[in-house]
Amino acid sequence: MINGAEFPTMAPAAPHAVRGFGISDAPEQKEVKVGFMPLTDCASVVIASVMGFDEKYGIKIVLSKEASWAAVRDKLVNGELDAAHVLYGLIYGVQLGIGGLKHEMSVLMTLNNNGQGITLSNHLKDKGVISGETLKKLIDAENRSYTFAQTFPTGTHAMWLYYWLASHGVNPLSDAKTITVPPPQMVANMRVGNMDGFCVGEPWNNRAIYDKIGFTAATSQDIWKDHPEKVLGSTSEFVQKNPNTARALIMALLDASKFIDASSNRHRVAEIIAGKSYVDAPIEVIENRFMGDYEDGLGRRWHESNHMKFYNDGMVNFPYLSDGMWFLTQHKRWGLLKDDPDYLEVAKKINQTELYKQAAGQVGVPVPASAMRSSRLMDGMVWDGSDPKKYAASFKVRATAG
Amino acid sequence: MKQISKTSELPLRVLLVDETFERAALLKHALQEAGYQLAAHVTSSADLPGLVSELMPDVIIIASDSPDRDTLEHLCVISRDQPRPIVMFTHDDDSEKIRTAIQAGVSAYVVDGLKSERLRPIMDVAMARFQEFQSMRRELEKAEDLLAGRKDLDRAKGILMKQRGWTEEEAYQALRKIAMDKGLKLAEVARQVIAVADLLG
Repeated sequence: MINGAEFPTMAPAAPHAVRGFGISDAPEQKEVKVGFMPLTDCASVVIASVMGFDEKYGIKIVLSKEASWAAVRDKLVNGELDAAHVLYGLIYGVQLGIGGLKHEMSVLMTLNNNGQGITLSNHLKDKGVISGETLKKLIDAENRSYTFAQTFPTGTHAMWLYYWLASHGVNPLSDAKTITVPPPQMVANMRVGNMDGFCVGEPWNNRAIYDKIGFTAATSQDIWKDHPEKVLGSTSEFVQKNPNTARALIMALLDASKFIDASSNRHRVAEIIAGKSYVDAPIEVIENRFMGDYEDGLGRRWHESNHMKFYNDGMVNFPYLSDGMWFLTQHKRWGLLKDDPDYLEVAKKINQTELYKQAAGQVGVPVPASAMRSSRLMDGMVWDGSDPKKYAASFKVRATAG
Repeated sequence: MKQISKTSELPLRVLLVDETFERAALLKHALQEAGYQLAAHVTSSADLPGLVSELMPDVIIIASDSPDRDTLEHLCVISRDQPRPIVMFTHDDDSEKIRTAIQAGVSAYVVDGLKSERLRPIMDVAMARFQEFQSMRRELEKAEDLLAGRKDLDRAKGILMKQRGWTEEEAYQALRKIAMDKGLKLAEVARQVIAVADLLG
């Protein structure tokens, strides 16, 4: 497989003998507060609630739309939220105390693969930039300060942006200025000339094209096909106190994920999440890429088979340890972590693979044979979780000093 | 309070980030009443980092529901050497919530519609807490250095004990004498002994 992930063989989990719940399976807490950010990939938490998959498993999801990732983090830590649709890397950053706040966190499952993107401003297009290679040429030729935005310093978009720039020989820390901007403000900020490019989740890349502000230079699946993106995050305290609730939540979200990935349901899902209480964007901005119909703002149109996936026969949702460890290797690469952590131990602590397997078993979702998966990223580097320290140190473009 | 005397001599310069004008107006009024200087009020800013480095505010006050919190978060991560107290305000006065937020690194919470006479003590506490936190961090770094020094000392003593057949006490006294004679720190002498031993194999 070229430039893609190789999935271990998926074995169907043994169907649970009894579908109903015994006394010991009863959720400890019936009402579950779940936070989300207005992005296309919040679909599974929204659908689990709107379509009533939560009630099927004896819980009631109470959705809470959040304004910032910092608020999601704080509310998870102080218990205002029980779980949230959250950036993979953010959970790992909090576990290790990057940026101050340190807390024991949990990842219950992966919510989606793919569906993010890198947008460059139309001003760059006027200067002949249409790709990473041409961007590098411009940066070398025209000496000025270049600014790129992402959504959270330890999050997924920062890591996709850095990886993509670095793969083209641009050091995101020394050759450019990076800033953090909330997703719904990206396009407006690019319009007033505050940045040359950004990395964000959909629908905001498509919105930049729709508003004729920018174009898509790369999709996140170009960087890493079937990459992990948002997770269902919680604290380890919540999971330890409420294992049955946590399991019920995973089951409800697996049902929702299946529902969304059935192509006949996607239009309806797009309609629901476009609403004011959720993503709050025109459906035509959300729907195209959600269905896999891409255009890049440079005149190319294509059907993307690696578009945003929520289920993909269960391959999306298993919380692979290697996925979590990858974010740590990048945190180390970019100097967010001073020293190598115990990669595997941290991932084992955070990713609730056992709980996930129990939940998947109950709803007949296949689980992989191994907690590691092997992927080849855009620069040809293979990541399989086997030697994280060596992998983290192997990148030529990285944070200098310290 | 003596330890924060600086704050009572010079008015603290405050950067206020809030998108709601009425709410910000109330807070601005309360800040001025309490004797603070408003460095700027922005409703939302893409260039918050630029603004912070340009204005150098002593305190940043931001609404807890502001999307710009992620931008400030970036500052916390990248400017570890230039930290600033961040005060959040909220319409919610749940004391438990405020307590956890403060533990999480927010210097203080200001509750909406707060009277100016109550603002002053809250800001003082925020500054004191922030300074305390900073000095704790410096102490921790010092302690870590000290620990590293002690490890070096143990290694150097081990080298001398092995090569000279000295007791631990004799090795320690020898290192201490060199340190005193040369006016060096003990840890420094230890590192030199280790370096020489490494060189000679």
